[in-house]
This record gives sequence, structure tokens and C-alpha cells, in this order.
Amino acid sequence: MNLQNLSIKGKLMLITMLTSSAALVLSSASFLIYDLISFRHLLTLDLMTQAQIIGYNSAAAMAFRDEAAATATLSALTAKEDIVAAVLYSPDGTIFAHYFPNGAGHPSTLPGRSQENGYRFEGGYLEVFRDVTLNGERVGTLFLQSDQRQWSVRARRYSAIVGIFVLISGLFALLVSSQLQRLISRPILHLENAMRMVSTNKNYEVRATRFYSDEIGRLIDGFNTMLSEIQHRDTALQRANDELKTRTGELEGEITHRKRTQEELLKAKHAAEDASRAKSAFLANMSHELRTPLNAIIGYSEMLEEETRDSGKLENQQDLRKIQSAGKHLLSLINDVLDLSKIEAGKMGLHLETFDVSLMVEEMVTTLQPAIAKNTNNVRVRLPDDVSMMRADATKVRQILFNLMSNACKFTDHGTISLDVSQSAMEGQEWIRFRVKDTGIGISAKQQGKLFQEFSQADATISRKYGGTGLGLAISHRFVQMMKGRIGVESQPGQGSTFTVYLPAQVTLDTAEAAQSEGAGAAAAGSSQHKPELDTILVIDDDPAVRDLMSRFLTKLGFRAVAAASAEEGLRLAREVSPLVITLDVIMPECDGWTVLRKLKSDPHLAQIPVIMVTVVDNQPMGFDLGASNYLIKPVDRDRLAVLIEKYRLARSSSASEAKVYSRPAASREERRPIEAEVSRRT
Amino acid sequence: MMPKILLIEDNEMNRDMLSRRLQRRGYRVITAQDGEQGHVLARSESPDLILMDISLPAMDGWELTRRLKASDNTRHIPIIVLTAHALVTDRAKAFEAGCDDYDTKPIEFERLSEKIESLLAEKKLS
Repeated sequence: MNLQNLSIKGKLMLITMLTSSAALVLSSASFLIYDLISFRHLLTLDLMTQAQIIGYNSAAAMAFRDEAAATATLSALTAKEDIVAAVLYSPDGTIFAHYFPNGAGHPSTLPGRSQENGYRFEGGYLEVFRDVTLNGERVGTLFLQSDQRQWSVRARRYSAIVGIFVLISGLFALLVSSQLQRLISRPILHLENAMRMVSTNKNYEVRATRFYSDEIGRLIDGFNTMLSEIQHRDTALQRANDELKTRTGELEGEITHRKRTQEELLKAKHAAEDASRAKSAFLANMSHELRTPLNAIIGYSEMLEEETRDSGKLENQQDLRKIQSAGKHLLSLINDVLDLSKIEAGKMGLHLETFDVSLMVEEMVTTLQPAIAKNTNNVRVRLPDDVSMMRADATKVRQILFNLMSNACKFTDHGTISLDVSQSAMEGQEWIRFRVKDTGIGISAKQQGKLFQEFSQADATISRKYGGTGLGLAISHRFVQMMKGRIGVESQPGQGSTFTVYLPAQVTLDTAEAAQSEGAGAAAAGSSQHKPELDTILVIDDDPAVRDLMSRFLTKLGFRAVAAASAEEGLRLAREVSPLVITLDVIMPECDGWTVLRKLKSDPHLAQIPVIMVTVVDNQPMGFDLGASNYLIKPVDRDRLAVLIEKYRLARSSSASEAKVYSRPAASREERRPIEAEVSRRT
Repeated sequence: MMPKILLIEDNEMNRDMLSRRLQRRGYRVITAQDGEQGHVLARSESPDLILMDISLPAMDGWELTRRLKASDNTRHIPIIVLTAHALVTDRAKAFEAGCDDYDTKPIEFERLSEKIESLLAEKKLS
């Protein structure tokens, strides 16, 4: 086992043991060594003393060469067990007498001859040489050899004692250290235990006990502080977590609630839309049903009036006129309400066409004549030559102008009404401005505020005095908005009024409007379904003059004209531009129109495109047999062609929405304009 | 001899009123209540002009117009179609079917009589 990985307890015990044992062994060893050195010194001194005594005793025997006496003297050494050899050398160095207590003969270590006085350690033996003197004269040399038996016995004994002592003290140290190490190891082990509990159980409420105020104590304090901090944070985290959970729960609840509300709202919206559709359908239905009897009322009263006039019964004429007038008023009310409901239901779409503004104005003023004449008003129209064509919903523009003009006529007596048309560029766009100015009763500032709101004629008395539904301006306002224009009024009571309408010279249908009208579930008038981009008409004719004329004519009608000079080019373009309608000539070089027609009708991608034959060849049966939709003989009747193309455009745009279209839409404004004129004419 | 007008209209009041008003203008008026009857009268009576409602029982105005314009005997008779369904498609459809003019209900008598006059004048010229 690696020492370093020993447990703290083990390390502490080992350290204590090793330290104490080392100290003990060192001190014991030094004591032992000292003792053994001293003892050897003592032994040496003793041996030298022995040598002196024996030398002294054997001096006489040496001097007298008395070998026996000398041997006897040496024999006295018998008591000394450690003496293994004693030899007396003659002065010449020869052995004179000797003593070997073990009787083992000459030990091999015996020196051959005498040597200088002194002692030496030789081969584990202590050897002493001593001159034997008599009266100051050297008579011989004594040699003593000791095996130092006492010393080795003592060394052994002492070593054993020291060993036992070290062992005992070691055991004791073990005992003591095993007890004392707890002082250090216990808090550490406790700390370790506490840490393990924290880390395994994630229990931050555990605290380590502080045993002593030492470093470990401080360590434990630090640990506890840290734990408190962690616990604190953990608690805070837990609280935050709980709060988050609660919030999440609340939010989920909120979301569910909102979703439910949303669903309910959606349901309500659908219900409202359904109701709106139902209302529109009802209104359209009602208007139709109301109009049939009204038709009879107005017709019969007109007839009666004519008859009474012819027969001279003038007393009834006024009453009959009142019936007529009331009937027409009722009709205009129905029409206005229907218009407004169509606008609100999003069913009023824009039908854009390019038209001559001056013609439109001229026609409108003609229709207005009765209203102008009624109050003996003067009408001035100013229309500069630079204002010519505009692209907009002509019917709606006409209706707006008619509304403004007939209002002006209605509220002006013996005055002047002027219509001023001009064109200008603003905000990077061309605008047509219509300004209708009268010298009539005027409108107060307060009244102006709600002038364009539904059913809010400036004054309740006004409707009694002047009639009208109060919807004309509201409808005009909506129409202007639909065409992204502006309408405004300037007026002072008694000073007359000026209504100004700005309309883009090129009204466009944007995708937002299309999406909006779709979103409103509106699909009514086919015109609202027109895509913003122009429909393409493909003209296939080899005559450049015809191509040019047709292209110009179609462009004027608001289509994109694409012309092909040959059959091959025509077929290619038909695939590329997917035209709304193809007009096709018969006599062409290389490949004639019949062949083109056959190819068009046999191609599944092109077969559904209507083909109008435009040719000098009078062979309608052939054309219809091959699948032509219409057959026009040159020179082409343009109106007829326009009607046909318009028909296909409407057919295409309504086919997508047929299911939604109410099958009996209300009367168009064509029937209304003159009626409104009539209304204004009434007494 | 005043022009003879064939009025094909299923609504009794409208028929009565229109015929009387036309007569007051001096026209000779013959009336039919449905498309079939109108078809028969148009061929037998050779009217100078036909005024017809578009939604007729038995045979609707579209079909009747097509038949009349397809036949050599009746092709020359101008037809004015009257409709309450004043959709642009109706107008286009009317011309497509071969009608000569088109008007919407409620009848604006003055306007209608202008149309009648101009068609009769055109016919006389040709």
C-alpha cells in the first residue's frame, strides 16, 4: 500500500510510531555504543592491569629462566575466562612460557614474536604486549590475548534489552498515538463524513461539528458557512423555482384562457360574418322583392299622371306626382341602403377600367340637368384638355360626382355650381382632382364633422326639407376610400360649400385589398376578384397592322396585349403567358389558324383558353367544330370584341367564387343614376 | 301604321302597365306571359320590336333570344332585354346572346322609350 494513500489515522499513527521509535532507537543505540566503548575501554585497562601484574610476578622467573615458575604464574589466569592466550617471550623474541586455557594449542592468531608495548584489536581479539622488567631491565615480553567475552555478552544482552524496550515502547506509542491521533483525525473524518452526506444526499442542512478551535475547527467553520450559503442559495433557488412553476402554471392557465377566448371570439366572428352575409343576402333579396311592387307603383302613377294630364284633370296630377316622387325616394333609399350594406359586407369590389374623364363628366351633367333646372341653378364645368383618361371604377367615380353635384343643386337656389377638374402630381403619383363648389346654404363646422357618416344628415330638419337618405356622402366617402383617394369639404353657413375629391389617375387594386375582401368572405361582384396584374390577351395575326391595332385597342381596355406574328410563336407564347383569351387569324403563311386552333385544343394546358377567331374567312362552322369560342369576321366590331373579352374576364374571376356569390345581386347603379336625378327633381 | 311591339313579361302588373304606357305612346302592343308564347308570337306576328323580361317561365330570355336570332325569319327583329339582375355579366351575356339593347328594372320609361325609338329608327334605316 502506498504510504501517501494511507488514511489520516494510519498516517498519524505511522508518523507517531516512526518518530518515537526513531528517537528511542537513536538514543538507545547511542547509549549502547557509548556503554560498549566504555566497557571495552575498561576491559582493555583491566587486561593491561592483568598484564602488568603478571609481568611483575613473572619478572623474577624470567630473570632466572625459571620456566615452571613462569608457567605457574601464567596459570593464575585461569580465573580470567576471557583470556584465550598468554605468552611470555624471551628478550630475543622466542616464546619462553605460554598458557592456553582451552588447551587447543597455538592459536593461529598468535604472533610469532614479541612486539612493542601497547594494545591492539586483531581479528576480534584484544591483544596486549607488555615488557617484563626487573630493576629497570627488560627481561622479557608478555602477550595476553582476550576474546572479550564479557563485552560481546554484554553487547548481546544490551541489544536484546534495547530491542525489547523499543518493541514495548513502540507498542505503547501505538497505543498512545492511536488514541491521540483522534484529536486530529476525528474532526477531519467527521468533516469528510459530513461532506459525503451533503454530496450524496444533497442535504444542505447537514452541519459539521466543531470540536476544537484549531485550524480544522476553522476549516469546519468555513465549511459550515459555505453550507449555509449553499443552503441559502438553494432555498432561494427552490423558491424561485417554485415561483416560476406557479407563474408557468398561471401563464398556462392564462394561455388556455386566452385560447378559449380566442376560439370564442373566432366563433363569434364567424357567427357575425354569417349574420352579416345573411343580412346582405336578406337585403339583396328584400331590395329585389321591394322593387317589383315599387316598379308597379311608380309605373302606374307615371301612367296615371300622363293620362290625367292628357284629359285635363289637373286636380289629381299633383297627388300622382307625389306618389311617384315618394316611390322614387323609397327606391333610392333602398338602393343606398343596399349599396352601404354591400360596402360593409366587403362585397363591393372595384371594377377598374380606363375611361375618358370628359365624357364621363359630360354624361353626368346631362343626367343632372333636371336637378340643375329645379332650383334655377347655373352650372359651370371647367375641364382642361390635359385631363383625359383615368383608370378607376368609372361607375363609382360617376356616382361620387353625381352625389356631390346633386347635393350642390339640392342645397343651392338660384346660385352657381361649378365643377372643376384638374390633374396634378403629388407624392410621386398623378391625381385627378374634382372640385364641386356651390353658393348654397353651406355647412357649419359642427355639421361638417359627421358629414361623411352614415345616416347623419347635417340636420334632421334637412331631410324633411330637402329629402335624401343622408347616405349619399357616406357612400361617396367609402367609394373614394376604396380607390385610395381623399374627400374633403370646406364650408361656412350661408357661404356655400366646396367638396374636393382626389382620386389617383391610375387606381390600382393592391393585394392587401384583395386579401381583405377575401378575408371578409366577400366574393360578390366579379370585379373584386380581379388580380392586380392585368389580364393578358394573346393576338395571333401575321398582319403587323392588325397586331398593332388590336394591341392598342386591348391596352386601352385595360389588358396586356401580347402579339405573335406566326403560328409557331403564337403557340409558344400561349404556353408562356397563359393568356385570358387568344384571338386567332386564319390565313397565315406556313401554318394556318385552323392548325393552330387544333393544336391549342389538343394541348391539355391550353385547351381551356377561349379562342376568338378574328378573320376574313367566313367559315363559322369550321371554327366552332375545331373548338373556337367565338367567331368574328374582319373588320372587327370592336364593341363586340370588348364585350366578349370582358365576358371571359368576368367568367374567369367569378368561376373561382361562384359558390359564394349570391345568386341575385342587387341592381347596379346603371338603373339608379337617372332615378336619383328624378328624385332631386321632385317637388 | 305604328310599330308593333311584342312585350314578353310574366309579371302581370308590369305587363299591364308597360303595355298600356306603350299603347299610350301609340305603339301597337301584343303581350306574351312566357317564353314559349313569346316565341310563337314573335314568329306569327312579326313584331317590329321585342321587349322581354329575362327571367321568364317556360323558356328564359337568353334561350328565346338565341332562338330568335338563330332563325332567318326573326333575326331582324330588335330585342331589348329587361332584367332586375343588373350585373355586368348580365349585360355582357345579353349582348353575347344577341340582344340589341338592354335595360334594367325598375323601368325608367323615358329611357326605355328612347331606346325603343332609336332601335326602330335604326331598323327603318336598314
